[in-house]
Amino acid sequence: MPVVQLNKVRKVYENKVAVEELSFQIEPGQMFGLLGPNGSGKTSSIRMMMGITYPDAGSVSLFGQPFTRSALERVGYLPEERGLYKKMKVLDQLIFMGSLHGLTHAAARERALAWTRRMDISGAIDKKTEELSKGMQQKIQFIAALMHDPELIIMDEPFSGLDPVNATLLQDTLLELKAEGKAILFSTHRMDQVEKLCDAITLIHNGRQVLAGNLREIKKSYPRDRVQMEFEGDASFLDSPEIAEAKNYSGHAEIRLKPGADAQKLLHLAAAQATIYRFELMEPSLEEIFIQAVGGKADA
Amino acid sequence: MHKNTLRNVSLIARREYVEGVRSKGFLVATILLPGVFALVFGLVFLSSKYLGVDRNIAVAADNPALAAQVRSQILADKDAKATVQLYPTPAGGLTMADRATLVAQVGNRAIDGFLWVEPTGHDSFRISYDARSSADFVTNNRLEKAANDGILRWQLQQRTMTPAEIEHLMSQIDLETWQVTHGVERKSNALTSFYTAYGMALLLTMTTMIYGMNVGRSVIQEKTSRIFEVMLATARAQDLLAGKLVGVGAVGLTQVGIWIGAAGTFAASGLAAQAFSGKWHLTISIEQVVLFVVYFLLGYTLNSALFAGLGATLESEQELQQYSPLAAVPVWLSFSLIALITSDPESKWVVIASLFPPCTPIVMFLRMGSQMPPAWQILLSILLMLVSIRIVLWFSTKLYRIGILMYGKRASLPELLRWLRYS
Repeated sequence: MPVVQLNKVRKVYENKVAVEELSFQIEPGQMFGLLGPNGSGKTSSIRMMMGITYPDAGSVSLFGQPFTRSALERVGYLPEERGLYKKMKVLDQLIFMGSLHGLTHAAARERALAWTRRMDISGAIDKKTEELSKGMQQKIQFIAALMHDPELIIMDEPFSGLDPVNATLLQDTLLELKAEGKAILFSTHRMDQVEKLCDAITLIHNGRQVLAGNLREIKKSYPRDRVQMEFEGDASFLDSPEIAEAKNYSGHAEIRLKPGADAQKLLHLAAAQATIYRFELMEPSLEEIFIQAVGGKADA
Repeated sequence: MHKNTLRNVSLIARREYVEGVRSKGFLVATILLPGVFALVFGLVFLSSKYLGVDRNIAVAADNPALAAQVRSQILADKDAKATVQLYPTPAGGLTMADRATLVAQVGNRAIDGFLWVEPTGHDSFRISYDARSSADFVTNNRLEKAANDGILRWQLQQRTMTPAEIEHLMSQIDLETWQVTHGVERKSNALTSFYTAYGMALLLTMTTMIYGMNVGRSVIQEKTSRIFEVMLATARAQDLLAGKLVGVGAVGLTQVGIWIGAAGTFAASGLAAQAFSGKWHLTISIEQVVLFVVYFLLGYTLNSALFAGLGATLESEQELQQYSPLAAVPVWLSFSLIALITSDPESKWVVIASLFPPCTPIVMFLRMGSQMPPAWQILLSILLMLVSIRIVLWFSTKLYRIGILMYGKRASLPELLRWLRYS
């Protein structure tokens, strides 16, 4: 049973189509990336999953049932527009959020203390939110979304604004949650994180789904037309008719082959003219797939 | 009702309440507002006590006996503490030169003013008072009464009445005021009743306005802190709004409770009796206390629902401040009717104003200063307020639901209409 299922969802704001015919599903224990340039409809899609806005057409199902607010008790949500009560102390804030999700005061307190230890912010629990750095506040919001041990975690741009150390901590925590069987959906611009973390993705552009499915299969479906090589000697093989585009950085070349070109031919030609230290035929990176799919118009 | 609604509303209300009563603003307002009240009432009390006293006045009349009589009447008003000189009447009577002399004395501050009594015919007189300040209405009123009394006493003397007969005829008879409530006579003090009701209406206005504004301010603060989207994942927009209204309203009731408790302690301690020299005593009936709480809750809910909807469409507290004079219109309207309410509390316009929901709490309390409005009017006013609260809440919840997620700019009127249509 999919944890989330969107079926031909459409959302229109006045005259602007924010989301059109969007369909995907997320299975338990799956890490799902929602990708797209700014304004592509990611946040609109997420808000419909959270019942903050409603689809004009199509349907959203959570845990195998058409959307109802009661399903949100099993969902943890970190919105793009983040906020905390500035005057409230960290611990009070976390207990309040946990209580709203149905936890007793004692249970909420226990979980808040455990999570603050896990996220390395135990020292801040008696401080008011306004006294904390942005990164610390983001960790608190992350904890607030997880206080009630949700089965589905939805995070809109969770890594934005985090330094590398905290981004890694968040990444590791998400992987641990995935290992516990939680379904996780997050939107991001960071393709390296998607490649590292996600099992499946959906790429939307101008509200429309342009790419969807298992990440490995998507990458496999693109031809291996990238070559990275290191060499010494004559570089005239880079003028080969097999090559569409080549960048030579004194002994390190990045090459894009023409459609249908034979990489072996190029290797033979290069080996005849230079000493080859490395010749690697690569699949396109997710970033390249992303740019190619949105027609190079992404402002992300 | 959603199964978590009550729990969520109560959690949100508790959070609002704790944050409200712990804020510095609550502490300052709780102490400061009664201080401002005390200052205003103290100033009114002191100015009524000390206005128009210690005047140095000259009395000029063709007839020295008449002048003396007027002088003794001015001196008889002990509160005025006036010094009164008699202008020596020349043998041929007063002339314009005498008037010029007196004007010069006023000019060089030898005297504060002079009372000029001149005959205009048999048994008729004209009196005028020249002074540096023409706006000293307290002195003017005192002199007018004293001069009339003095002239009348002198005229009665001329008709050979004895001083005892004159004293008997001129003796002051005080008007006793009795209020008929539910067909039963009750001794009343018009001034005390009026000021009590006026004070309660003022307190009601300030608290409902302040806490209504606080709801609007709180919505804007949460909007700018971007907390709403997190909250909407756990609670419905209407639960958030309801929790906010209940929480902030409870803060207001706590504050009013503290003031009433402090006032009760003050009254019971006997300090009040000393302060008001026994002339003033607070007469608040149980009905007034109950209605105060009822009208506070209704007035507060109406105002705060309005401000919550308004706050959701705005981007900053400064913008909210710009709208506050609009919210004060019903207050101005209500207080502008004071003269009519005092003289004719059952007149058509007063009844209409007291049934107009934005004005109801204030006008009803002002009416209570004169007489308790009929029960059906009170019940109807409460019903009309409930209906208007329902309508305002309907609009506000719709604006709130959309507005709290709209960031960046203040919504225009066409946008607001679209929000109402879409939500």
